[in-house]
Amino acid sequence: MSMATPAEAPLLEVRGVSKTFDGVVRALDEVTITVHQNEIVGVVGENGAGKSTLMKILVGVYAPDKGELYYRGRRVPFPRDPKEAAGRGISIVYQEKGVIPHLQVYQFLLLGHEDKYVKFSSLQIDTMKRVAGEILEELRVDCDIESFMYELPLSTQKMVEIAKAILSIRLEREDTDTTPIIILDEPTAPLAIEERQGLFNDILAMKRNSSFIFVSHIIPEVREFADRVYVLRDGKQVAYHDLTREKVTEEDLFRAIVGRGSSEYLYKPGLEKAVGEEIALTASNLTKNSYYYDISFHLHRGECIGLFGPAGSGKSEIIRTIAGLVGFDKGSLTVKGQTVKADELPHLRLERGIGYFSGETGKELFLNWPIAKNISIVNIGRILLTGRVPVISFSAERKMAERIVKKLRIAAPSVNTDCTSLSGGSKQKVSVGKWLERSPDILLLEDPTIGIDVGAREDIYEVLLEMKKSGASMILVSDDPKEYSILCDTIIFIKGGRMQRVLSPAEFREVTAA
Amino acid sequence: MKNPARKNVVPQVLIQTLKTHPVILALIGFVVLFSALYPERFLTPLNFSTILKQFVTLTLFALGPSIVVVTGSLDLSYVGIWMLGGILVWLLMPITGMFSILVIPLLGLVTGFLIGVIQVKAKIPSFILTLSLLVTYWGITATLSGGYPRSVREYAFITASLIPHLPTAFLWSIPIILAAIFVMKRTRIGTYIYAIGSNEEGAQLAGINVDKHKILAFTLSGLFTGVGAVILFPHLGGAAPVELNLNNVVGPLVAIVLGGTPLVGGSGGPQRTILGALTYAVVYRGLLLSLLHPEAVQLLVGLLLIVSIVVGSRGLKGVTIT
Repeated sequence: MSMATPAEAPLLEVRGVSKTFDGVVRALDEVTITVHQNEIVGVVGENGAGKSTLMKILVGVYAPDKGELYYRGRRVPFPRDPKEAAGRGISIVYQEKGVIPHLQVYQFLLLGHEDKYVKFSSLQIDTMKRVAGEILEELRVDCDIESFMYELPLSTQKMVEIAKAILSIRLEREDTDTTPIIILDEPTAPLAIEERQGLFNDILAMKRNSSFIFVSHIIPEVREFADRVYVLRDGKQVAYHDLTREKVTEEDLFRAIVGRGSSEYLYKPGLEKAVGEEIALTASNLTKNSYYYDISFHLHRGECIGLFGPAGSGKSEIIRTIAGLVGFDKGSLTVKGQTVKADELPHLRLERGIGYFSGETGKELFLNWPIAKNISIVNIGRILLTGRVPVISFSAERKMAERIVKKLRIAAPSVNTDCTSLSGGSKQKVSVGKWLERSPDILLLEDPTIGIDVGAREDIYEVLLEMKKSGASMILVSDDPKEYSILCDTIIFIKGGRMQRVLSPAEFREVTAA
Repeated sequence: MKNPARKNVVPQVLIQTLKTHPVILALIGFVVLFSALYPERFLTPLNFSTILKQFVTLTLFALGPSIVVVTGSLDLSYVGIWMLGGILVWLLMPITGMFSILVIPLLGLVTGFLIGVIQVKAKIPSFILTLSLLVTYWGITATLSGGYPRSVREYAFITASLIPHLPTAFLWSIPIILAAIFVMKRTRIGTYIYAIGSNEEGAQLAGINVDKHKILAFTLSGLFTGVGAVILFPHLGGAAPVELNLNNVVGPLVAIVLGGTPLVGGSGGPQRTILGALTYAVVYRGLLLSLLHPEAVQLLVGLLLIVSIVVGSRGLKGVTIT
């Protein structure tokens, strides 16, 4: 394969790729992208824009209906499976679920390639460890090859996954001098901001001998790290920018991605805040050993407190403690004047008026259920035939769901549509919709808009702000600093499990802008 | 007058129903197949009455456990409740007279509750737990009976024929079936049981007491099995058996899975189980009428269970609770 090729030919070129699902849904329409040696190519778009489909075609998960693939200027067939793709020098690091937690690092790195390390039908563990150690050293990934994957921080796990992708290309091609093309599918989605920066520094360092296709919907990241960027919308390529030559603003990219300008919510926060005097929840010296220590705050009616900090700072554990998913060791938690026991089960929290809304896909949704049932599950008390007879009225259930679907602009044929078939953004809207209907006194938000597109985000912020206005208190944990300035009245900075500073939104914007 | 809008609605509803209950197609297919193969033996009132009789047996055994399967667990204790209940009726007959039969629902209720509590507290696989319990009940039954089947004739009136060719047990099973469907579809408890099977963490976050409703699911299962066994006792001969008939254990399982309740839980339930039971009864009868050796029929039943489990778990996507 490493014959003389024209120097100007790109490393990889996909030309005019189209893909249709079930003969109806046009996922990709005549998309062309090129990848050059040692560059980071951004592919951006909303959920459902066709990014993932394109990547899956590149690694042989889907076969395209139409299109051509060129490798160093020579036409090659599309790969039929990921192994063949690796043979062509292409490998992917998926957004989630790529890591097998209970494998040791070296086992994980060589997973699927064990056949190359067998002697007399037993695995050559020492050789495997050496190979694993070498690649990690070469890529400057700092971790012990014998530790288990789950023991590593998320960003290191990502790096090990990238190392695994590069290694699998080398092992499949049986050489070490090809330039690997690594597809990064939303690599920063599970990471906190500080970790993101670190991951990108590592990736930039790896550009010396690799090329990356960087799939994302986080505009600032793409603008900062990609050399060139393709924008997809509804399966079509709608924009292309060479970021090394032209100046492109976030607003430009945003407009290209959503096909309209950003609304006031995303870039002009600062709505009227209506924080009451009444205290809804008090944490005093709340401590969970080895996670967080001495967390104290008052949450007022109509107030939103943001717990801000890097992953591993303890912010997630704090919000999960309040949700009842994690216990605490010391301190006290008081909800509306009543003390909450440390080991109280989560279902009792709802009786106390605490709802928990997580953006993690499928965490709280009943995916095989229709929308209507997902909304009524926390509101069954409101759809009974009469107060006395505990019989569910299907028409009341449907009406309730229809109201929410309309209000939140959920794109679905009917309220009887199963949630599995909805887009990520619509799923999230169903989740938030049930809480809108229930209107709990305190709503806990954990990454409420993670992984969903800009339009759906705005709709969700709108609902949350409306709930807040009508008196709901909220606690937010997120990785997106903008989210804090949009939603929060108070931001508590947490580091190493301890409260560092309490900031107003204005102060927070100054800190994060710097 | 013809309404053009209505014209489109009917096929849509039909397609939707077939989509969510694909077993209906299999049922129709089998009926057509057997009718074509041996019309003079299959298409007789006697044959249909036999099919209905087996349908009743399968349904009354499978109805309760299908509630448990919705939560993602399994309850195999049904045959045990029927066996032990029968021998308790025989033992109590001289003392409590005609009220003795009430011991079966009571036994079912208590058994279900106990299984639920043990399963939730000890967090052990319900399959092993209920299988052990089945064997235990079988042992108790054999011990109490002294090793002989004990017949109790007093309850034969329950299933005495009312309408020719229509088994009375079938009439009795209708209200029980409706009650099970009602509980699962129209009450809070049923909804919460579906929620737990669909997404346990999500159920907890939605304020559902998961442990309590798991226990409730097992208790309901035991209760429905117990009530059903009151009919099954005279229906299956009016005697407390001492031999564990594996057919009675496997058949209801086939009915549940064939009906479209996936073993991972979250969807399906009693309304599907009755379809599965009817299909299985038709298949079983059709095979018995064929020239196949009875052992070969067992083989095919085993294969049917495997196929329906595979289809049930693969076809999970797009299957709605109906």
